[in-house]
Amino acid sequence: MLKVKNLTKKFGELIAVNDLSFEVKKGQVYGIAGPNGAGKSTVYNLITGNYSYEGKIEFDGHDITGLPPYRIAKRGIARTFQVPEIFPSLNVQETIRVGSRFGARGGLDLKHSDEIMNFVGLEEDRLQHTGLLNLLGKKKLMIGAALATKPKILMLDEPMAGSNASEIADLMVLIRNINQQLGVTIIIIEHFMKVLTELTETLLIIESGSMICCDKPEIVTNDPRVIESYLGDSYAEDK
Amino acid sequence: MSLKHMILILCGFYCVMGIMPLFFGDTDYIMNILIMILIWAVVASCWDVIMGFAGIFSFGQVAFYVIGAYSSAILSVSLDIPPVFSIMMAGVITGLFGVLVGLPCLRLAGPYVALVTFAVHMTLVPFLRGPLGRAIGSGGSQGILTIPPIKLFGLAFSSEQLVPFFYLTFSLTIICTLVLVLVIKSYWGTAFLALKDSENFAASLGISAFKYKLMVFALTSFITGLFGALYAHYVGMLSTKMLSMDVFTILMIMMVIGGIGKYPGVVVGAVITVTLSQLLAPLGMYRPLIMGAIVVVLVLFLRDGIISPIIGLLSSRRKVGLVEKSLKVSSKGK
Repeated sequence: MLKVKNLTKKFGELIAVNDLSFEVKKGQVYGIAGPNGAGKSTVYNLITGNYSYEGKIEFDGHDITGLPPYRIAKRGIARTFQVPEIFPSLNVQETIRVGSRFGARGGLDLKHSDEIMNFVGLEEDRLQHTGLLNLLGKKKLMIGAALATKPKILMLDEPMAGSNASEIADLMVLIRNINQQLGVTIIIIEHFMKVLTELTETLLIIESGSMICCDKPEIVTNDPRVIESYLGDSYAEDK
Repeated sequence: MSLKHMILILCGFYCVMGIMPLFFGDTDYIMNILIMILIWAVVASCWDVIMGFAGIFSFGQVAFYVIGAYSSAILSVSLDIPPVFSIMMAGVITGLFGVLVGLPCLRLAGPYVALVTFAVHMTLVPFLRGPLGRAIGSGGSQGILTIPPIKLFGLAFSSEQLVPFFYLTFSLTIICTLVLVLVIKSYWGTAFLALKDSENFAASLGISAFKYKLMVFALTSFITGLFGALYAHYVGMLSTKMLSMDVFTILMIMMVIGGIGKYPGVVVGAVITVTLSQLLAPLGMYRPLIMGAIVVVLVLFLRDGIISPIIGLLSSRRKVGLVEKSLKVSSKGK
């Protein structure tokens, strides 16, 4: 469904992403992990058209290399951000409708927007101003607005960051439901290995913009290169 | 602000303005103030849409106003185009100019947009006074002194006939206000707000910053140019004094008094600012001092402008009404 071929991004002398290639299959939950500064979010920014790059990205059989972010959104690739992005001038309902109005093929679909609002559990906050939502609410809102675009792929950037145990459990259920009930393919960047091992079918580990390992989570977490560069010996001992 | 409150305030404003000539039609001084209130209300509204709603720090509003005024004046004086058409053409020219200014601004962040747009403002004076300006008919430092009045259906609209000109401006103001309200409350307005709040998030949801930012530049500069042109045919003469900091400051004070991004607060701001500016005119150099003091007080104590307490009052009255209604219903039930 999503093919990333020889992706390279340089910021001056710094090589943020170095000749990275991977493929995400339809219906998968695909994980990406790596140390801070490994280039994970940069990969998201490249796929969603925020920066120019070398290499090629194919989505659903079409070349989407060089397309601007709004056109990539309309093609069916939605994303969330590590630090929750919201529209403080709009309420919850209006924010979700923005996704439907501008991102979904066929324009505003009020019924679908309301269904999504219920799906992410924000129906009681529909008229709440987004700035007044708590962190979990803001994350759900970002996911809801992204889902309102009727995406084929949803890219989540560290959705668990700053969440407590019950919020993590809540978000894990939501992510699983998005994948299984709505049939949306998911790519997730995360530092919590427990989340990745439970949710994902394939896990890609990158360091300094290059791939270290890409396989099933149980294989990846036992790979000596991954333990050395990212997980650490204590993780292996705890296991 | 809800559409209901917006319509309520605008209807109140236009109803009061509409009957003013019945009482003050013979007083030129007041009629002039009323016409200027109408003109500035729209020009300031356009600035509020681009800055308050779309979040683009454009400081080129006065420049667009002057471009509209000079365009229509040059077209009607040099090319003998009837003012009705030259005003429309001036709107289009200013709209195109707005797009040209908007294009480089798309790649710039807030303060840099302010610098670029203000640079346009600053370059207009030497351009209009210099040989290039004189070549296109700006009249150089002397300006244009013989701008013809608007003639429509055999009637002349100028500063000689203030009541007809008032109602012409009034009609045009209502049309443009309707357009602005429709834009603010349509999905265009939602796109403007979303881009202002978070351009990255908005783009990830399918909003094209390029399209909507250019749209807002084109629309607001078109309407501003239209009213600049109307002003030119009202006063009958133009000079580069229109580009003075005084005009720019007055327009900014309207925004601050009304509340930035609190449309139609800026309309109320225009009423207060134009009236105050005229009433304080005899004080000479003390006028800007007093106006400045008002701005300081407002920024310190009413950051959202004077419209916020008005909306608060309307909302609280509605809440009180709802509570009274529910109490009546519950007492009937008993």
